Amino acid sequence: MSEIIPKVFRINTGSCNGCDVEFVATAFVDKFHIESLGVELVEDVKDSNLLVITGPLTAKSEPFLKKYLNQMKKPFVVVGVGTCSVSCGIFRDSYAINGPLDKFVEVDVNVAGCPPRPQSIAEGIAKGVKVLNQKMHGEVTPKKIDTIFQDFSAPQTFRGKMALHEGMCTGCRTCETVCPSTAIKISKTDDGFTHNIWHNSCCYCGNCAYFCPTGAIHSTNNFDTAKLSNHKYTDINIAHIEYETCTKCQEKFMPPSRGLLGKAYVHDDVNKLNAKICPSCRKEANFKRMYA
Amino acid sequence: MSEKITIGPFNPELEESVYFKLVVDENRVVEEVELINGFIHRGMESLATKKNFMQNLILTERVCSLCSNNHPFTYSLAVEKIAGVEVPLRGEALRVIADEVKRVASDLFNLSMLTHLAHRHDLMKETLEIREYMQDLKETIWGNRMDMSVNILTGTKYNLNDEKVTFILKTLNEAEPRIKALQKAYQNDAVFKDKTVGVGILPYEDALEIGVTGPVARGSGVNNDVRVKAPYSLYALRPSLQPKVTTYEEGDVYARAMVRFGDIIEAIRIIRDVVADLPEGDTYLEKRPHIPAGEAVVRTEAPRGELIYYLKTDGSQKPVRMRWKVPTYSNWEALKVMIKGDKVDNVTMILNSIDPCISCTER
Repeated sequence: MSEIIPKVFRINTGSCNGCDVEFVATAFVDKFHIESLGVELVEDVKDSNLLVITGPLTAKSEPFLKKYLNQMKKPFVVVGVGTCSVSCGIFRDSYAINGPLDKFVEVDVNVAGCPPRPQSIAEGIAKGVKVLNQKMHGEVTPKKIDTIFQDFSAPQTFRGKMALHEGMCTGCRTCETVCPSTAIKISKTDDGFTHNIWHNSCCYCGNCAYFCPTGAIHSTNNFDTAKLSNHKYTDINIAHIEYETCTKCQEKFMPPSRGLLGKAYVHDDVNKLNAKICPSCRKEANFKRMYA
Repeated sequence: MSEKITIGPFNPELEESVYFKLVVDENRVVEEVELINGFIHRGMESLATKKNFMQNLILTERVCSLCSNNHPFTYSLAVEKIAGVEVPLRGEALRVIADEVKRVASDLFNLSMLTHLAHRHDLMKETLEIREYMQDLKETIWGNRMDMSVNILTGTKYNLNDEKVTFILKTLNEAEPRIKALQKAYQNDAVFKDKTVGVGILPYEDALEIGVTGPVARGSGVNNDVRVKAPYSLYALRPSLQPKVTTYEEGDVYARAMVRFGDIIEAIRIIRDVVADLPEGDTYLEKRPHIPAGEAVVRTEAPRGELIYYLKTDGSQKPVRMRWKVPTYSNWEALKVMIKGDKVDNVTMILNSIDPCISCTER
């Protein structure tokens, strides 16, 4: 089996620089260990077999991208770096965007992040190299590739994937309102709410966590976002926030948030408060207690 | 015999997409320059009017990730001007710290690209390694290596405690001697000087006429640093913070690189000064501001020069019009003066020396 040298060429299709700068840092700073992959950066797109594409694909870039893609020899691998290349991210609703990328070229690896950490980019390229090897030898690309770089530690304060404490969320939609890239969707179901966070649209700004009144939505320092493209639509955090049934009238209602109650009743144990009755029954009970 | 050469749009030497059509003579000296832009146009001014004031804090950050603090900072100043809000002193101080950290990182990245184009790879690696100090600092304190998400209306999201202040000072103490040594290395490097001295000259008169800003202007002897000429935020409240600006008369690529070194060292001095005397109190106002109908123009100094925001509101939750004039917009015109009469091999280096932020300009 002959060794294949991955030759990388980067195309910027309208990114904000973040991913490009971080790509340069990944390529030239030793601590990210990209040289262990044997990657070569090439000057001409004709020589390359691993394309790194950043940006949401602007209207003006599109014909040039197609021209460049036509010059390439098959098989080649495309690694989309940054949330923009996966889903157009924050720019999705703009008139000047023709993306996302996979409308025009088959993307093999997606690296979400805004911008992704260099470790993520290195991981994405490593996965790309693996896919390239398989393509060159005519093998079928598997559905899942194990992580290649094992070090996924980040500072505690790092804003990675968002997560939700289900018990604290009340479905107030603050996060939905402040999210700039519409990565959060809250939909009503029969017995509560469904809270979806799309990691591939998220721009990791932390606005939702900052503005959340109950502290339910929070960022984790997990940045494992370099995934094969078949995971594109499944990389979601789904949470169900369920109604409670009122012990008096059996009506379904949204229980008050433990987090907010904790703030309001500083001296009481929140768990002991009778929270299992709906607002109208509570009003009635309070009225009776005070005036009856 | 003249020859036509095209550079771009996707060139590995350029960080962003630009398309040049050049006409060169037999000695490969550039006779004509045609610049074609629009590759990074994402329709952001239209997007800004579709998003509410909270979302725009993040959208403006994504205008450009290299000066990603200056955009929301200036935008917040504009909104606060319309709303008539006075930001707590601690908030102002924290904003300035974030701003100067970004300036150091941005200028170091530009210098590393310059050495890359000058084919001095050990200098480039050293510059990027030093930049990692700033990246680690940003990641540890603000949570992201590029987009720090510092500003909210009326203040900042983050706060500093003693532990974080110690970490900032420790990082600066480690980085500063290496930056000073790096500057010496640049000054003593024969190959680097050979490639940059006398290349891409922008004379003083042209700099004035074109109205260039930032390090490009200062490299040609024009000092128009907004932090000094029209101080804002904490620079206005504490005049001692205003930078002692480095200016050079030569107007070449080398002079602009040295101006950036001056900026970096002053930025580190400013961060130290702010941290040493950090005001106590809130970082933002608890009451979210009501934003009435109004108009505001604000200008600040981004790493690349003067950044101007125009904002018009009508009392609703979304801006009616938002427009920004970025430093590269005026510096871009200077390229025609710089490139003409220079060798075609120097074009990408001259382009890099104005630190072009095309994603800001074309948005």
